[in-house]
Amino acid sequence: MNDFSELEDQLRKLRPARPSAELSTRIESALAGPETSPATAAVLRRERRFHFKWLPLGFGLAAATALVLFAFVRLQQQGARAPRTASTTPPPAISTAQLVPAGLTQVVYHTRDEGLRFRSNSEQPMRRLRSNTRETLQWRNPKTGATLRISYPREEVSLIPVSGQ
Amino acid sequence: MENVATDENWKICFSQLAPGLVLFARQWTRSAADAEDVVQEAFVKFWRRNHDIKNRGLLYATVRSVAIDLIRRDSRRERREATALSDSDQSVQPAFDFQDDSQRALVAALDLLPQEQREVLTLKIWNELTFAEIASALGISQNTAASRYRYALAALKKNLPST
Repeated sequence: MNDFSELEDQLRKLRPARPSAELSTRIESALAGPETSPATAAVLRRERRFHFKWLPLGFGLAAATALVLFAFVRLQQQGARAPRTASTTPPPAISTAQLVPAGLTQVVYHTRDEGLRFRSNSEQPMRRLRSNTRETLQWRNPKTGATLRISYPREEVSLIPVSGQ
Repeated sequence: MENVATDENWKICFSQLAPGLVLFARQWTRSAADAEDVVQEAFVKFWRRNHDIKNRGLLYATVRSVAIDLIRRDSRRERREATALSDSDQSVQPAFDFQDDSQRALVAALDLLPQEQREVLTLKIWNELTFAEIASALGISQNTAASRYRYALAALKKNLPST
């Protein structure tokens, strides 16, 4: 039928060598046992060795670095905004130790005579005078020249004894 | 080999298939022991998955896959096998029981065949696979399998002193 029939017959006369009897036994035990890797005669499987996984470590380190950088930038930004928020707070109080009294001014701008009055435990009459005053206290810092001035109203009532002559 | 297809007892199946399977596995291994390891792993895998024993193409494809995995598993082994395959067959000798010198010369001529032709010849002659099954096992077309078979025979005929 073809030119190779004689050659094919020659090839078929070649008989492959029989495998070892042990192979059948090994397959039998492998099929009987749990589904694991088969026992081997010449090829021993390597034991699992610890392999350091660089890729996850790299990703982890990169993520940690990014997080630290982000936190750092956030802190920097908050620091840059700090003067704006600080401007809303009151300035620190000036130390009074650096100020020395520079003057006191009393201006009486109204006086009124309220007539004679008799005290309950005395027969001698007394004249009552009511005066309104504005007092101004002033301090000065000799080093900087800064001044502090406080002004407030004051009302004073005086009882003046009246002689009987 | 025909009764193998209907026999579900693995021992009977295996006893009839084993010589051809080991011979086929030796395409990728240097020693008979390595080839037997490949056949063991492949046959156990095939049998555990309850594949139909009639699907011989799948059985031989499993052997081929396990053999290639074995080569890749160990880099030293891979280098050794690659060297062996590229050295044109000196180390990948089919294991035959010789009866005379003419058979020895035939095996020597077989060793000179390219790998792709020799594996088709092995499946066709000593494992009695059809071209359809060979195509399934090797992942090639039937026409390619038939062509490689013819090329192999032609090369053998050319290399033999007298046929």
